[in-house]
Amino acid sequence: MTVVPSTHGERLAAFENVNFSYEDGTEALRGITLDIRKGEQIALVGGNGSGKTTLAKHLNGLLKPTTGRVIVKGSDTRKEQVANLARIVGYVFQNPDHQLFCSTVAEEVRFGPMNFGLAEPEVERRTERALEIMTLERLKAEAPLSLSLGDRRRISIASVIAMAPEVIILDEPFTGLDAGEAESLMDVMREMNRQGTTIILITHDMRVVAEHSDRVIVLSHGRKVFDSKTRTAFSDLKLLRECGLIPPPAIQVAHHLREYGVSPEITTVEELADELARVLREQQ
Amino acid sequence: MTIFIDLYSEGNTFLHRLDPRVKIISVLLLSLLAFVLSTVYSLAALLAFIFLLLFLSRASMGRTWFALRFVLRFMALIVILWPIFDPAGTPVWAELGPVKVTEPAVWRGITSAVRVGCLACVWYILMFTTAQRDLVRALVRMGLRFDYGLTLAISLRFFPSFMATISSITDAQKARGLDFNRGGLIKRSKKHVAVLVPAVVAALRTADSLSLALQSRAYGARTDRTYMRQLKMRTFDYVALTIVTMLFIVPLTAKYLFLVHF
Ligand SMILES: Nc1ncnc2c1ncn2[C@@H]1O[C@H](COP(=O)(O)OP(=O)(O)O)[C@@H](O)[C@H]1O
Ligand SMILES: [Mg+2]
Repeated sequence: MTVVPSTHGERLAAFENVNFSYEDGTEALRGITLDIRKGEQIALVGGNGSGKTTLAKHLNGLLKPTTGRVIVKGSDTRKEQVANLARIVGYVFQNPDHQLFCSTVAEEVRFGPMNFGLAEPEVERRTERALEIMTLERLKAEAPLSLSLGDRRRISIASVIAMAPEVIILDEPFTGLDAGEAESLMDVMREMNRQGTTIILITHDMRVVAEHSDRVIVLSHGRKVFDSKTRTAFSDLKLLRECGLIPPPAIQVAHHLREYGVSPEITTVEELADELARVLREQQ
Repeated sequence: MTIFIDLYSEGNTFLHRLDPRVKIISVLLLSLLAFVLSTVYSLAALLAFIFLLLFLSRASMGRTWFALRFVLRFMALIVILWPIFDPAGTPVWAELGPVKVTEPAVWRGITSAVRVGCLACVWYILMFTTAQRDLVRALVRMGLRFDYGLTLAISLRFFPSFMATISSITDAQKARGLDFNRGGLIKRSKKHVAVLVPAVVAALRTADSLSLALQSRAYGARTDRTYMRQLKMRTFDYVALTIVTMLFIVPLTAKYLFLVHF
């Protein structure tokens, strides 16, 4: 199995030896150094409290490093307003109810672009497009708070898409979604990514990580312990376990069958099936 | 944020072990005493006594400083502002246009500042050494209805998480390009709707699920409920209560019966 070489473009963001402590002294990030390039689909994983949210909040300036620097599109986040960085980095919060306050879905989606002071036709164009992408056209005039959690989450994502950011961060977006909803959300994100948006997904779902990301960053106690292509990320089972991560079943199966010549460098069930078929064919 | 509402830290000093009812009564008596005393010397003595207790409570320096910072600032403000608004008396120390600073006024300012220091520190000792659940339990034993006690306990318990929710909501709206620092007064206050609405909704949702949780655990089923930890006064508690009561009564009688100026 060959590793597809990265064809990603310009550098969008860089962490330069970033340390961050909260006011109460909790050291949430320790010596983080990493680059984020245009077009990447990154999975940010790690146990609860490992610093994923803290790291993500550095990208749009909600948090500023205690020491070190975070550079977004060439400028130091310390010198930028969150409202300006929001044009580049869109952040979908873990809890959609922390941002819904308008009386209709359309108004909620419009809120971001309006904050940017865009002209009305442009605001409308973006709103319509975001509603369409998240298949919310039908619910446009409904009150967000009266809708289901799945719908509310889609609204919060649409409200970020309408801001047309270059990077979209999804912080544990699957809470309260059923398998189908989660799958279609990832399909939308894959399509956004294909059109050039960089996606950073924070999740505990290793199957989604394996299937929908091209790079995995693993945090543990505020440190970056792992950063590689998804295909190779799941090869070190021991390291994964130390970080409290368990690879998806397909990859576990591949690991168990290693001695029969099955490569563990697979990501999806389909790839496992292909790999097994290949091995079986060879043995016949 | 958490530290602001819950100052308590675990410990095993005699102040931690004291019955919370004794502590509440003592704090009330010492607070009253701070109003009975009227000279700067007696108040300074009281403050010294309270500082000694604070020291004995073994509260960490960080916590103590965090709490005292506000008090010290407030005390400084009183000392500075008092003479300006209360220029009565002689001799005059300084005169600057309409502002006159007199010696007695400066002393009155200092006296009030020390009094405020006494009041604040004595309450801090209570907060430093008493867990919220013990405070509520004591209030219930002292006659507060259990429902009100529970309400108080819940509010204290949820206040920090509510503050965390508000800060998360503020972050979420900032991430959508909301700039709280731009625009005129009306425009700015309108922006707070974006925080207020989700905050109220979150609070109502919490209250809703909490009431379900309470009901499903048979809250309100019968009135004569059992309590896990009974409060019991021990000899030590009586001794402490007696000492504080004496501390309060002696100056009081001296002042109002024998007209000694304290
Ligand atoms: N506002 C805060 N104040 C103090 N500590 C915090 C705050 N937010 C998070 N932390 C702490 O920082 C660490 C990292 O938290 P977080 O980034 O939320 O982790 P994750 O998103 O990976 O679960 C944890 O130990 C957490 O308790
Ligand atoms: Mg998180």
